[in-house]
Amino acid sequence: MTLLLEVKNLTKKFGGLTAVNDVNFEIERGEILGLIGPNGAGKTTLFHLISGFEKANSGTVRFDGIDITGLKPYQIVNLGMARTFQLVRSFRFLNLLDNVAVAILSARGKAAFGEIGIDEAASTILSEVGLVDKARVPPVILPHGDLRRLEIGKALGTNPEMLLLDEPFSGLVHEEKEKITQLINRLRTEGVTIFVTGHVLRELMTLVPRVIAMHHGRLIAEGPPKEVANNRIVLEAYLGRGEEFA
Amino acid sequence: MMRLQLDLRSFFERFKIWAVSFRGSITLIALAGLSLFPPITRSVYWTQILISAMIFAIFAASWDLLAGYAGQVSFGHSVFFGAAGYVTAALVRYLGVNWILSLIAGAFAAVLFSLLIGIPCLRLKGPYLALGTLAFSLILLSLFYMGPPWSDILGGSEGISGLPVPPNIFVAFYLVLGFMIISLFGMHAIVESRLGTLLKAIRDDETCADASGINTTVYKLIAFMLSGFFAGIAGSLFVLQQTAVNPAYFQPLYSFYAIIMASIGGIATIFGSIAGSFIFWILSEFLRPLAAAALLIFATLLILIVRFAEEGVMNPVMERIQEYWDKFRGM
Amino acid sequence: MIEEVIIFGTVQGALLALLALGFSLVYGVGGVLNLAHGAFYLITAYIIFWTIPLFGFTVSAIVGLIAVMGIAAFTSLALIKPLQDTHIGVVLVTFALAFFFEQFVKYFGDPLYHYIAPWVPGFITLLGINLQAQLLALVIGSIALVIVVTLFINKTKIGKSIRAVSQDAEAASLVGINTDLVLMTSLVLSALLVGFAVIFYAPGNYIAPHIGWRYLLLAFSVTIFGGMGSIPGSIVGAFIMGYATTFTDYFPMLGPEYSQLIPIVVILVMLLIRPQGLLGKEEVQ
Ligand SMILES: Nc1ncnc2c1ncn2[C@@H]1O[C@H](COP(=O)(O)OP(=O)(O)OP(=O)(O)O)[C@@H](O)[C@H]1O
Ligand SMILES: [Mg+2]
Repeated sequence: MTLLLEVKNLTKKFGGLTAVNDVNFEIERGEILGLIGPNGAGKTTLFHLISGFEKANSGTVRFDGIDITGLKPYQIVNLGMARTFQLVRSFRFLNLLDNVAVAILSARGKAAFGEIGIDEAASTILSEVGLVDKARVPPVILPHGDLRRLEIGKALGTNPEMLLLDEPFSGLVHEEKEKITQLINRLRTEGVTIFVTGHVLRELMTLVPRVIAMHHGRLIAEGPPKEVANNRIVLEAYLGRGEEFA
Repeated sequence: MMRLQLDLRSFFERFKIWAVSFRGSITLIALAGLSLFPPITRSVYWTQILISAMIFAIFAASWDLLAGYAGQVSFGHSVFFGAAGYVTAALVRYLGVNWILSLIAGAFAAVLFSLLIGIPCLRLKGPYLALGTLAFSLILLSLFYMGPPWSDILGGSEGISGLPVPPNIFVAFYLVLGFMIISLFGMHAIVESRLGTLLKAIRDDETCADASGINTTVYKLIAFMLSGFFAGIAGSLFVLQQTAVNPAYFQPLYSFYAIIMASIGGIATIFGSIAGSFIFWILSEFLRPLAAAALLIFATLLILIVRFAEEGVMNPVMERIQEYWDKFRGM
Repeated sequence: MIEEVIIFGTVQGALLALLALGFSLVYGVGGVLNLAHGAFYLITAYIIFWTIPLFGFTVSAIVGLIAVMGIAAFTSLALIKPLQDTHIGVVLVTFALAFFFEQFVKYFGDPLYHYIAPWVPGFITLLGINLQAQLLALVIGSIALVIVVTLFINKTKIGKSIRAVSQDAEAASLVGINTDLVLMTSLVLSALLVGFAVIFYAPGNYIAPHIGWRYLLLAFSVTIFGGMGSIPGSIVGAFIMGYATTFTDYFPMLGPEYSQLIPIVVILVMLLIRPQGLLGKEEVQ
């Protein structure tokens, strides 16, 4: 296997607060890696740094052999790394088809789907995420679970090699979580590399073979979910905040 | 990357659907009625007013394209109007260039200014952008009012006057009508195209567009250029109609005109600008006894529209008419 | 020339500080760019101009101050607050309001220039330069007001709320600060500062219906220069801009016509090289 993502000494400060503190890790091509940590651990900030939405104070990010530190978000997307947001975002006044079409109109999306035709490609992606019957409605009237899958659909429109999923399960009921899990598993078999955060390890237990754990901006543990679940430091990090863990 | 994805065939398909839809039919009927106006009334006075209204419909729609569709609220739209007007006037008056070439040159001058404004101002978002564009127009206003040596080049407060009067007002009417129809259908086609989808996406959520791999800066600049182009056509036409241009064209007043007309017609409608502009000009005529108060009334109106009727005055009215229309067609 | 720049630059800086401080404060608190800021100047100046023949300057000045503060309170409650979650709505409505006041004074007055006589008569000589005594009053008044406002923001309860909201509106509302009240207070405060700018600067100068835009532009450029929402930034920015424009006024081959262009040059340069302003926080957007 070859290295796809390489994060080195990444640090981000907000005033006096160090949200991401000297973080190092790697992801292999085709791998699925989980990231857990209690509220405010710095997971989302780490995602922002990798995907270019925030500028790191120091450290580097390499993707597919290219140094992407300091690149703009759209440039990173066009290199093959797409992401979703913890607080779902969508284009309010565009229907679902057009929501996905926007991503397909990106340079990378066009290169991949241009020949099939934008609308057809968007429909295909919508059916892949199970929303094709709602292609003509605007996102505002959708339930939360659909919006989470729309987020993934939009990311797929850019034909990503790697997907960053920020808490794709949060706020969902069981059946919806199942749908997302199936979707992620299917993407993996198609060869997409996945980096996924979760608030509680339980959500990621069956999904990922390896997780890293974060607390106060630092990586505190790494390994198979079972091991990390029993890691004393990780337990303390969660217990210290009185939060539900596993 | 910047290819405008205007697929012609699907465009005509969509046009057909639009033409039989309620708004499409209304627009087409109104345009037909408008084109019959001069031969029926033979009123030179009202024809002049309608010419102004048509010119400002283009101007207001160009603002709507930028603000309503791309989400970039500009308070400096008078810059495009005035810059194009000056270039056209100078070419016609001093170089004897024919009017149509001068008009095209004016429109491209406006595109140039849209880049000049767009490039620095696009680092700004939302309210900053609005203020940045306003600042630009104020500076041009004072630049053009400046005395020598600047006034030797820019014409000072007198501006440029004495352009040839259009030989036949009725011919002018149909020419401007043609410009309005082409410009508005052009803008409508743009907002309905793939490019339009991207502009609306940027308007709805710029971060999300960025995350979808879209270079938002480039597309916002394209929106500025397109909007500047059509605003420039309006500015050039207006100067040709008025046969003069002066620094007052850069006043915030002209930006205000575009905004109030687009707001009356309903923001993000393009064709609403026709209604907005005609309501504005015709109402101004009836308010003529209160001439000085007319703008005060319109300013109040804009405050009320923004505060209480985000969709514009026309949208709710149109929806009501549409109910009857649907009933009528259903029979 | 250096003496002129020092004296008149200080005068200009004092005026700009009064204009920019409130503008920046309001932005910091609510993310509100008040395009009617210059119109507040305009309407205060005209109220004073219209009522002087009735009451004399002192009473007129008080009437003007109260009126502009009332207008600001009304603007905040009736226009800005209901539209605040659409920032576009706020700029549109304050733009329309600025327009309203311009047309208002044109309609109830006339489109001509008018002169208000200075209330501090005579001239004084400083560094060998003759200066209207009125302008000295401006400098002293401005410095006093800036100190008072700074104390108000740092010491009073409502002032501290203003600071809290401008640092983190969400957190502030979580700890029970009434953000609407804070926004209204800062808007009224900014109107008060603008009102004093009129009292000190309009007498001895001309007024006309369109002048509001110029004062808005000045406030905006100082604020962009100093950093949006930064109070020290707007004060430092005001004086730097003051000296820069005065320098251009007196520089051979340039002159007052060119100093008018300074605001846009400042805006452009700042936007291109340092959009967060001199002392602003990093993430402006
Ligand atoms: N733009 C910002 N400015 C200041 N502080 C910030 C900013 N963004 C995040 N933070 C702070 O950085 C820390 C890490 O936040 P982050 O959102 O990355 O955590 P998280 O692990 O994603 O938490 P959650 O489980 O709530 O999603 C938090 O203390 C947060 O308050
Ligand atoms: Mg998070």
